[in-house]
Amino acid sequence: MGAGILEERKESILVKDHCSGNGKGIQCETQSVSGAVSQRACVYCGARVVLNPITDAYHIVHGPIGCASYTWDIRGSLSSGSDIYRNSFSTDLRELDVIFGGEKKLTAAIDEIVALHKPKLIFVYATCIVGVIGDDIEAVCKAASTKYNLCVIPIKAPGFSGTKTLGYKMACNAIMEVIKPHVQAGQIKKGINILGDFNLAGEMWIIKNYFDKIGVKVVSTITGDASYDTLIQASTAELNIVQCAGSSTYLATRMEEELNIPYIKVSFFGVEDTTSSLLRVAQAVGDAETLARTETFVQEQSKIAQEFLEKYKRNFIGKKAAIYVGGGFKAISLIRQFNEMGIKTVVVGTQTGKKEDYDIIESLVEDDTVILDDTNPAELEKFMKEKEADILVGGVKERPLAYKLGIAFCDHNHERKHALGGYEGVINFTQEVNLTMNSPVWRYL
Amino acid sequence: MGYNFTNLNVNPCKMCMPMGAVTALYGIKRCMSILHGSQGCSTYIRRHMATHYNEPVDIASSSLSEEGTVFGGADNLLKGLANMIRMYQPEVIGVATTCLAETIGEDVPAIIRRFYMANPDCKVKIIPVSSAGYAGTQYEGFFRSLRAIVEYAEMDETKNNKVNIITGAISPADTRYLKNLLTELGIDYILLPDLSENLDGGHSDVYNRLPDGGTSLAEIAHMAGAQYTIELSTFISDESSPGKYLADTYGVPYVRMDLPTGVRAMDALVAKLVEFGGKIPVKLQKERERYLDAMIDSHKYSALGRAAVFGEPDFVKAVIQLCAENGIVPVVSATGSACKMFHEQIEPDIKAVAAPVFVERYAMVDDADFEMIEKLMVDLKVNVMIGNSDGRRVAQRLSLDLIRCAFPIHDQIGGQRIQMLGYDGSLQLLDRIVNSLLGAREHTFREELYNKYYLGGETGKMETQAVVEMKGEVPVMAEKVISPADKTETHPCFNCSGGQYARIHLPIAPKCNVQCNYCLRKYDCPNESRPGVTTQILNPEEAFAKYKLVKANMPNLKVVGIAGPGDSLANFSQTKQTLSLIKEYDPDVTFCLSTNGLMLPMYAQDLIDLGVSHVTVTMNTISPKIGAQIYQYVNYMGFRYTGEQGATILLANQLAGIKYLTDHGIVCKINIVMLKGINDEEIEAVVQKAKELHCEITNIMQLIPVKGSTFEDMPLVSNKEITAMRKKCEGHMKQMYHCRQCRADAVGTLDNDESINYQMKQETNVIAIKKERQRFAVATKSGMLVDQHFGHAQEFYIYESDGETANFIEKRNVDKYCNGPDVCEDKVDKIESILQTIKDCSAVLALRVGESPSRRLEALGIRIVVTYDRIEEAVKKAANQ
Repeated sequence: MGAGILEERKESILVKDHCSGNGKGIQCETQSVSGAVSQRACVYCGARVVLNPITDAYHIVHGPIGCASYTWDIRGSLSSGSDIYRNSFSTDLRELDVIFGGEKKLTAAIDEIVALHKPKLIFVYATCIVGVIGDDIEAVCKAASTKYNLCVIPIKAPGFSGTKTLGYKMACNAIMEVIKPHVQAGQIKKGINILGDFNLAGEMWIIKNYFDKIGVKVVSTITGDASYDTLIQASTAELNIVQCAGSSTYLATRMEEELNIPYIKVSFFGVEDTTSSLLRVAQAVGDAETLARTETFVQEQSKIAQEFLEKYKRNFIGKKAAIYVGGGFKAISLIRQFNEMGIKTVVVGTQTGKKEDYDIIESLVEDDTVILDDTNPAELEKFMKEKEADILVGGVKERPLAYKLGIAFCDHNHERKHALGGYEGVINFTQEVNLTMNSPVWRYL
Repeated sequence: MGYNFTNLNVNPCKMCMPMGAVTALYGIKRCMSILHGSQGCSTYIRRHMATHYNEPVDIASSSLSEEGTVFGGADNLLKGLANMIRMYQPEVIGVATTCLAETIGEDVPAIIRRFYMANPDCKVKIIPVSSAGYAGTQYEGFFRSLRAIVEYAEMDETKNNKVNIITGAISPADTRYLKNLLTELGIDYILLPDLSENLDGGHSDVYNRLPDGGTSLAEIAHMAGAQYTIELSTFISDESSPGKYLADTYGVPYVRMDLPTGVRAMDALVAKLVEFGGKIPVKLQKERERYLDAMIDSHKYSALGRAAVFGEPDFVKAVIQLCAENGIVPVVSATGSACKMFHEQIEPDIKAVAAPVFVERYAMVDDADFEMIEKLMVDLKVNVMIGNSDGRRVAQRLSLDLIRCAFPIHDQIGGQRIQMLGYDGSLQLLDRIVNSLLGAREHTFREELYNKYYLGGETGKMETQAVVEMKGEVPVMAEKVISPADKTETHPCFNCSGGQYARIHLPIAPKCNVQCNYCLRKYDCPNESRPGVTTQILNPEEAFAKYKLVKANMPNLKVVGIAGPGDSLANFSQTKQTLSLIKEYDPDVTFCLSTNGLMLPMYAQDLIDLGVSHVTVTMNTISPKIGAQIYQYVNYMGFRYTGEQGATILLANQLAGIKYLTDHGIVCKINIVMLKGINDEEIEAVVQKAKELHCEITNIMQLIPVKGSTFEDMPLVSNKEITAMRKKCEGHMKQMYHCRQCRADAVGTLDNDESINYQMKQETNVIAIKKERQRFAVATKSGMLVDQHFGHAQEFYIYESDGETANFIEKRNVDKYCNGPDVCEDKVDKIESILQTIKDCSAVLALRVGESPSRRLEALGIRIVVTYDRIEEAVKKAANQ
């Protein structure tokens, strides 16, 4: 595969070739290679991003300041209520705390928060060194829970203990801990919970509006514009719908097994997926009238979005896309959205995709497309140049690289301020892609 | 640590040591850095830097795993070094440690020695930097890297004529300025580090993933033989000071100087450079003159400034010096570093600038977080903030300008090009500060002076303060068949005996222009509705349709009200359109409207023209002082007003608006929310005022605290207290005892809210014509496509279809159909559970189906459809086959 590719990375790069096939598939779900400049974050990050949109929770980062500082209000998750989640709380451990332990400081920090703010819900994240110095945060949280009769949940998420995916799982477990004490026998189940949407740029609101329109009750929006009071209602829903499968399928599975709420996977990226998802939910929980309303609604909306897309399509003829995103779900959605737009995907990769995600990706793309797991700037540079990508869809770290290579860029990560979900999202995404790819600036390079 | 907290940092005004360490390494030529620790540290730091500099930032990580943490990370680091060299071909590698590496006791110098032993041909200079995140901030980390570089670089002690210039984290643009200055003065210098190109590169045809700028090791080698070292930092400790090290080890004399911002610091630097043979060029002389001229031009405006300055100690000191020279009083100075010398070094300047203008209170804090900074800013009445973009949330909350400087700038472009060094940079910074002060004054001085000095004519102060002039003439009652007073008879809110009459509230007004402290925007206005109730907003056509529907079912419907959920007049076009539509349809209806009164003077005549007969105005106070406690802000004519200024505008408009309405015969009700400890003493006066204005009735209401609002914790007013207050006021005018604090979409009589029945279209019985439908089991991974192998499926999506439509029925988990663990754990018989799961289906849709399962499916009479398609499409096709 040429220079710039490390030996250990070769198995994590796959060029699709449907004739010869590749029995083994891509190597994925492994630790990052040291020195390879992975774009991945860590376990703590995974837990923090999933729980972040619980807006009235106090998220305390127990550890030295860095982890709190770099995750302070960097996400585009919006709130219709509390803004507490946009603050950074940290025990800011110092040298002496590392020597003598940080448990006392954490206990005191919780005491202070309780005294001043009367919280309902506290999450305590333990970062890298907390376990190493021997702090028992579970005991501290348990004691505080008992003392204040309050939900204080420990999340032991040292960065080195796995990948971001493990952090997702920890977050899911934490959410279960919030929900479970409020389950009552014989509850009448009605409405749906929405899992795995983070209300980035108001996407949860867009989706909720759809359900309002078609007459499906939304009980709890677990990870987007969520609050303690709505979270504890979650067990009264009759169905869970899972949007970002990577982060929330585990929670959905637990809720299915333990709370008897079945789940289905949905997607609100792209016209077709949004339409199928709305119809499916209406079919699953609605009556004939709900379904009729939904059918009318999706027809109207699809038409508007499709017409919009058609107008732009001529600007996309012959264009090629590169995709590098966090999880498999998003990569798959993007490939299909680009297909709807007439744009061919030539490079696609994820930080934490699973084997089954890559199977789907492989079946979606054309021959010669480069598929990458946990790639790095050097590989992205090489393959984007080789495959002559016109646009990269990725996160903030990848943006300057694309620009230096003279490639357009669309931000599809948690920091964005434009909604990409639902029919509105199709319009925004089309505009984003068009305005960056067809900007006049590229002509002068 | 925080203002209220001793064990908690709330909103950090600092980053960690590795951040500074790798930033400094970016100023070394062909240097690549690796963070020895877990993967997240490098990613977070890269993201933080990429957003500020808008440059690709490549920093490796040794990606320590659980195993590395327990047994040591040497193998990871060794492998990482080899991989970086292969990919980036660097000449220098900086290995910066993280919290984790330091805590588990990694001996990085020893690991580096091992690497050289295993790779004897390696020419790369590998430099260890000890930078535990808990040991200090990015500020200390930056200098630790520089110190490590001079300690580990090969040195050439041969005397030379060079001057070493050592800086902290200054912007690439400032670095370029400094280099240019040195060149123009004719100084032979070595700059450590040099961030000018690597973190602010250009665009060219060739992209170097390891940028080519920065100070080279060859240059650094000559630092040991230099004639002098100037270190542009006065706070860094001796142990972290590269200048001190060069002095102690090689006898290079050195001086620590302030960052050259402001006249004195820049003059001092230039004077020092002249000592080493520098010649002041005419251009620099002109630059200095121009800056002095600008200082004079601005000095009166500068004097308005009460600044908060925050960031790294050297930065804060530099800005304070500039402020002090210009008459801007830095009343809050803060750094996130724990810094002993901070107060001592900055206080003389602050004192000197504060004293002549009699500013006695100012604060200086080290180890500060933004919670503390914000509290101090409020307390000390700051009017401009200077520092990095982490202060933007405070600036936004306090409606202040933030003059963005230093690192990081995340919300604007060009952070790497902000200048503050030299006469030129000082001038740029001063202009930005002064323009902010001028802007604030330009926006407010008219109203401020008007409110302060204009007392008006005979009608008294308050009434004449209406900011909007009244339209229309003095009352000439239009001839009407039914007068507003008559309509009161059938209005359930204005007349207690009107209880048999129904009203409908149409929720068409989502926006609000006043932020009351008892209100949380996500809910309806708590003044008119029960807190926590959210209403579906209708557009005027929908509202009209709803009215018609309700009217058809509810003949006693007499009143149409617009009560939010926001403010009816903040959404005037919707209000107007709705009322016009209904009026045309039903001319006899009573229109009622509630508002905070801010826009009343503007729209009073329009309301009369629209046929509105009843208006409720919420007027909680007639004192701007009290108003300032109740209203967070008032958005008026494109500006946001806070405090007494906002309350005054609101009050003036309420009074003028109400007067106009009552003069024109409109029935007015005044709502007063009783707020314990805030307006309870004054309510009687408000009621008297209402009487003076010829209002019909006042409604003193309880505050129902809304979770998350400013008044969340305000004590509840008991029924007894509210009744006592109403009784007390009854002497002045009629009191409302029967208020139900209705919803913004209330329908029905006061005692029987039927809104729930009208929230969605009424249920009708649609009987679907049932056709012969088949059932399908779909194997899917994504949930969107048929993309799963039959034998791998953990779950099936069950659909029914008649070929026209595809209906989702349910999802079935294979596990649930398992016949006991013995059977299921056997791989062969997983197929059995799958068959159990789907046996009622007529066909299976899967990406692939194996030979043996195929036969078993056929035996059960289940058709197999092998496909790769969207689920719904595939099901419909299968049903048609």
